[in-house]
Amino acid sequence: MIDLTGRDRPDIVLLIALLVLFMIGLTAVYSASTVISESDLFSRQLTWSIIGLFAFLVGTIISLRRLEEISPIAYVSVSLMLLITLFIGRGPADRWLIIGPLHLQPSEIAKAGLIAMTAWWLASQKVRPRKFGEILIFLTVLPAVVLTALQPDLGTAVSMLLVVLAMFIWAGYGIGWIVLLVSPILAAISSMNIFLWLGFMLILTMILYRRKYSIPTWIAFVGGNSAVAAVTPMAWNMLKPYQQSRLITFLNPSSDPHGSGWNIIQSEVAVGSGGFSGQGLLQGAQKELAFLPARHTDFVFSVWAEETGFIGCVILLAAFFVLFWRIIIAARKSVNPFNSLVAAGIAAYIGIHVFVNVGMTLGIMPVTGLPLPLISYGGSQLVTVLFLLGLVVNAGMYWREV
Amino acid sequence: MLRKGKQWSSLAFMIIALLLFLILGVRLFYLQIIKGDYYRGLSSQNHIRVITKPAPRGLISDRNGVVLADSRPSFIVTAVPSEFDSTNTIQVASLLSIPEETLSGILDQASSVPHRPVVLKASMSVEEVSSIAEYLYRIPGVLIDVAPQRRYHRPEDCSHIIGYIGLSNDPESFRGEITGRTGIEFSMNEALRGSPGLHREVVDAMGRVVEEYRGTDSDEPLPGSNVILTIDSELQRTAFELLEKTALPGAVVIIDYATGDILCAASSPSFDPNMFSRGISLDEWDALLQNPENPLYCRAWTASYPPASTFKIVTAYWLIAEGLINKNTMPAPCYGSLTYGDTEFGCWTAHGRMNLISSLAQSCDVFFYRTAQLGSLDGLAEYARFFGLGSQLTEILTDERSGLIPDSDYLNSTYGSDGWGMGVLLNISIGQGELLATPLQMAAMTGVIASRGQMPLPRLVLQGEQREPFFPEEACDDTAFDVVTEGMLEVVLSRRGTLHEVFSEFPWDFWGKTGTAECFGEDHAIIVGFTREPEPVVICVIIEHGGHGGAVAGPVARDILLSYFEGSD
Repeated sequence: MIDLTGRDRPDIVLLIALLVLFMIGLTAVYSASTVISESDLFSRQLTWSIIGLFAFLVGTIISLRRLEEISPIAYVSVSLMLLITLFIGRGPADRWLIIGPLHLQPSEIAKAGLIAMTAWWLASQKVRPRKFGEILIFLTVLPAVVLTALQPDLGTAVSMLLVVLAMFIWAGYGIGWIVLLVSPILAAISSMNIFLWLGFMLILTMILYRRKYSIPTWIAFVGGNSAVAAVTPMAWNMLKPYQQSRLITFLNPSSDPHGSGWNIIQSEVAVGSGGFSGQGLLQGAQKELAFLPARHTDFVFSVWAEETGFIGCVILLAAFFVLFWRIIIAARKSVNPFNSLVAAGIAAYIGIHVFVNVGMTLGIMPVTGLPLPLISYGGSQLVTVLFLLGLVVNAGMYWREV
Repeated sequence: MLRKGKQWSSLAFMIIALLLFLILGVRLFYLQIIKGDYYRGLSSQNHIRVITKPAPRGLISDRNGVVLADSRPSFIVTAVPSEFDSTNTIQVASLLSIPEETLSGILDQASSVPHRPVVLKASMSVEEVSSIAEYLYRIPGVLIDVAPQRRYHRPEDCSHIIGYIGLSNDPESFRGEITGRTGIEFSMNEALRGSPGLHREVVDAMGRVVEEYRGTDSDEPLPGSNVILTIDSELQRTAFELLEKTALPGAVVIIDYATGDILCAASSPSFDPNMFSRGISLDEWDALLQNPENPLYCRAWTASYPPASTFKIVTAYWLIAEGLINKNTMPAPCYGSLTYGDTEFGCWTAHGRMNLISSLAQSCDVFFYRTAQLGSLDGLAEYARFFGLGSQLTEILTDERSGLIPDSDYLNSTYGSDGWGMGVLLNISIGQGELLATPLQMAAMTGVIASRGQMPLPRLVLQGEQREPFFPEEACDDTAFDVVTEGMLEVVLSRRGTLHEVFSEFPWDFWGKTGTAECFGEDHAIIVGFTREPEPVVICVIIEHGGHGGAVAGPVARDILLSYFEGSD
């Protein structure tokens, strides 16, 4: 039957995909850094890469059981970090925490804490189900999300929420349940348009009907969401136009402040001009002429696309897809619910970031500050992702442990 | 149950991920494969262009606020070398009506800085531009821009003072930058030019401006400062017109000796500096250079002449101040010439016995030949320097000459210590020989007598303090001033005075002295003089080849002063 003591080799396919992405990342950052006056960008990224490799190794050998035990503490720690950042944050949009020579971006580290916390809660909920336990989980993870949103970094906050929801799905909660959970947010958004709202109410009713809820629950959901939908436009209209635009800028500061889609247009030009085989490494003209915004961070994919073309992009996306697939494999075969949920959360994290970031550079997603994992310049992100992937490899090796 | 649920979940995760990645892949395929060429075209042309916005050059006005030089908008056609397709050269050349080779030459020269626009044709009027604008706009890399063009309102009368502008040769300057070439435009260039603004624009493949660059490094141009001259433009015009009427080259300098302000510095013939603003053609330039009367030459301070008999006021002052003679000294009579050694030094007529006053009035040379021998050449040369000769007076005029005072050092180094003799002193004493002075210096020299040594150094720019008197205080001698002043008045009052007839109807007192500078051909006519009423001004008029000083230059000086005084009443 099942051998509970043995362990597998590390997933070699995952490691190859990871290595490919790691090399692409260093190349792209090097290329982008050649035209940035801060010339030590690349060497700093190299330093972070070495630290990241250590984090990866730590992730592979750490006891996942021990990690599960300390998950709540880890979560509280990162939440406190986020709270401190709110007051003494520095750097772009005050998102950095500066400790000596270290420039940390707590919201990146918080993602790891959030995944661990959610996995811990969901795993314990499986063992000892509580009434309204799901709501409790949701409320527990909310502080980190809200603190991130207050930084303000709505993009990252939403991505956190999506990772948590994905983990709920992985834990067996249906789509309908998820919709109910976030129904107030959906109600607020749908209130912009009467048809949107009608559609939302129809879906809500269907879910409530299918899940055979009691009358009070019906009243709570339909009434509550109607109230939210009714109040939102009123509240919005009470704001003066400049307040509205301030709110939008507050919620999404990386959106184009000039409203002309400049960043996106330039990114599309860069990507498009790559053509089939690209303009050659280090040869990107858009990058060169400083047309590409945030070349080494959010828009690093555009540099890669411009210089390596369709071939390079397919290699990059394929590597990410393979990585995602191997993480899901690890998540699926893990017997321990915590291990499985952590791996699934990491898969969601990778998938969401890749789609949102690449989609942004291709002009099909809004501009948010989400980095491209493993590729974008940034130490906190690189170290966090490598540590998480170390956990995945770890979970894949010790999948039999309960 | 758990395993089954996870199988379902992982399938859902994989399907969703596959869908999302496929969306990205399709979008990439669209951008890179289908629209790749389009974006590659955009990318190769998409860039920041730095446009230098020239600063409006400062105004130049006269002492009464009359604007003499300003800038008016004109159109220029420029091309950005990197955006310009050379197959369009013929078309652009014909539209601008400039030779094709000239155009490609301009573009070749400019290709070293390919993103900066280079001027193809400057100073075009609205009419000129509007007829070709429609075609030019369709040619990538060709731009029509507005650039200020220098305009001179008194083109002929003030051209030597104000000077003209041209394209800068300074490698630091931007393309098409204007810089002063001569006159005040040159010497006050730093103040007048202001500082250019820099605009960064993002342009697309067609060279159209997509948007202003959102950098912090765009600067607005800073206009240049205005310059107010001491010149009275009405007086300047009168002087210039009267000079022109003589049909001879000449110069008029009028200085307010109380303040040192140069009120008038006319030089004829003149030229139109607007030619340079709109870009002078080779033919026009050649015509200016080959004109034997040299219109570009400022005769008021760039030309130096022998001051001739006007210098006698310096010699007379020196004789009295040094105590060599007194007012009543009468040396041996003038028989029309004096033989010194084996050289005969002539006088223009036989004057007989004379004292200093009458020899000044009648401009007797022999009197000075005889009395100058009492002193030394270097003594007289020192006094000539006191009177402002031999050095530049204004400092700001780069084309001002310093003239020449042939003292013993100069003569020794030129001819050797044996190569010259006392005869030089005799010649110098009547302002001939190698002595050279500019009309400005002659006016200043006269101003010393008029102001009794108090005249400040002449100035041309009204802004700022008056300058210091240049005549040394220790050289001031009341008796000498009195005697020379009396002599100069006698020039007009005495019946035999050289200016008696010319100034007989002149309603104010005039102190004058004529001079006739010997030269090849007809002599140069010179008059210096001053008035106390109604205005304290000193005047120097020189008419090249005008013959006898009193006869030609005298009426010009009189008419200028009459017109000035009557106009200012």
